[in-house]
Amino acid sequence: MIRMRFRTDRPRLPLARRVSVWFLPWAALAVYLAGLGGVGFVALGDSMRSWDASLAQRASLQIPADASPARLNTVLALLRQTSGIADVRLLDPSETARLVEPWLGRSVAIERLPVPRLIDLRVDGSGKADFADLRQKLTSILPDGVLDEHGLLLAEWHRAATRIMGAIAAIIAAVFLAALWSAAATARTALLLDRPLVELLHLLGATNADIARPFEIRALSLGLLGGATGALAAALTLLALGSAGPAFSWPAPLGIAGMDDWRIWAILLGSTLIVGVVATGAARATVLRRLAHLP
Amino acid sequence: MERADLRAAAGMAVVRLENVGKSYAPGAEILHDVSLALEPGEFCFVTGASGAGKTTLLKLLCLAELASKGVVTLFDTETAGLSRAGRAALRRRIGVVFQDFRLIDEISVAENVALPLRVAGTPEAEIREHVAALLQWLGLEKQSKTLPTALSSGDKQRVAIARALVSRPDLLIADEPTGHVDDETALLLVRVFERVNRLGTTVLIATRDAGFASQFDRRRFRLDEGTLRSVEAATQ
Repeated sequence: MIRMRFRTDRPRLPLARRVSVWFLPWAALAVYLAGLGGVGFVALGDSMRSWDASLAQRASLQIPADASPARLNTVLALLRQTSGIADVRLLDPSETARLVEPWLGRSVAIERLPVPRLIDLRVDGSGKADFADLRQKLTSILPDGVLDEHGLLLAEWHRAATRIMGAIAAIIAAVFLAALWSAAATARTALLLDRPLVELLHLLGATNADIARPFEIRALSLGLLGGATGALAAALTLLALGSAGPAFSWPAPLGIAGMDDWRIWAILLGSTLIVGVVATGAARATVLRRLAHLP
Repeated sequence: MERADLRAAAGMAVVRLENVGKSYAPGAEILHDVSLALEPGEFCFVTGASGAGKTTLLKLLCLAELASKGVVTLFDTETAGLSRAGRAALRRRIGVVFQDFRLIDEISVAENVALPLRVAGTPEAEIREHVAALLQWLGLEKQSKTLPTALSSGDKQRVAIARALVSRPDLLIADEPTGHVDDETALLLVRVFERVNRLGTTVLIATRDAGFASQFDRRRFRLDEGTLRSVEAATQ
């Protein structure tokens, strides 16, 4: 019968004191890239949902500037009679002026320019709207009219955004894999430096968990410290982008409310924790693999 | 009654080897068909020339190696079927003085001696107290903060012995513990082992110097080319 030595405390073994700090910048870089990528991923997802909400059930018709009021009324009547179209609204010149303002500026007198009139169409979502048939009918009344189905454009945007999100996810996965590799390499080096002590402690009766624990704690602290640095750098980058003016202003066009959006902080905190956990797991696996060779 | 007496009364062997063999490659057996038993509280020597298999035998006893053949039983527990945690628990009951000392050069003498207590999870205050007392007992108190690289071979030997004794093991195994010291110091070291033995620890010392071992009235096992050739019993 084994008489187990009563262990009053968790062993505090003098291991992993010479772990290289080279993992710190790796952890910081991993969290920086993963944080920015994660925010981009969420922002794109938000944008897609926003596009869906605002454009999926919409179409527009451009009426040439020289079209007569009679033709315009005929077109409006046709649209209102078309099944599947829930709402037809002719934009007034001031609304049209606001739409072209980004390209022409405020100082231009738009009423003097041949700017087409716009009709905004809202589809009822029943699927009854037959745009091919409508297009054919419009051609006979208004040959120069242009019917834009936003749903088609939206599908293109969806495909592009999904590809970009896939690429971001792949980059984030690669970043975490690189962190894993780097943590394992750091643990291997530390283990090599401590090899005589590890073998001695094994002979003195230390369990695998006792020996692995100091390496895990060191890897976790390096991972969290490096990760926090990377998260801080990512937050500063996002703040700088948010205050860099309209050309780089990311929150509005991408649908994130700004730095007060809790998801940004969740992503940065989550990335830091993931790097910490990855580093700990890599250190543990490396040490246990080495100890498996001992009897 | 001392703990060793209690175990002896219960018929428990601290070490029992039955037809044990050890080989590192097929056809090259270092130990061949070795059978022996150590009773609780015994003090024994293993003698034999260099290469006779003494160190391999001790490695099997401290579970640094596993036997290729036969049965190794420690504290009435067969070691072959034990889990890693079970083997670790047995190792904590064994003190080992390695032939090459195995001191860690980067930590002080006191830290080296404290390692078995750290492994056992002993509280820090107790570690400091036990280590200081033991170093004083072995005349090493002035070297407690010294790194092992600055010590003579004899002092390193004493530090290695202190580390093996600090956790008051049930079994003490010493591989050539007198190999690096003069005859007078060697005698003193054996007296230290005898004092520990009197406290209940079973002691097994391996030495190539059969003449030295014969000075003591203790059971002696003689190994020759991996085979146990003779056992000389103590006269008392």
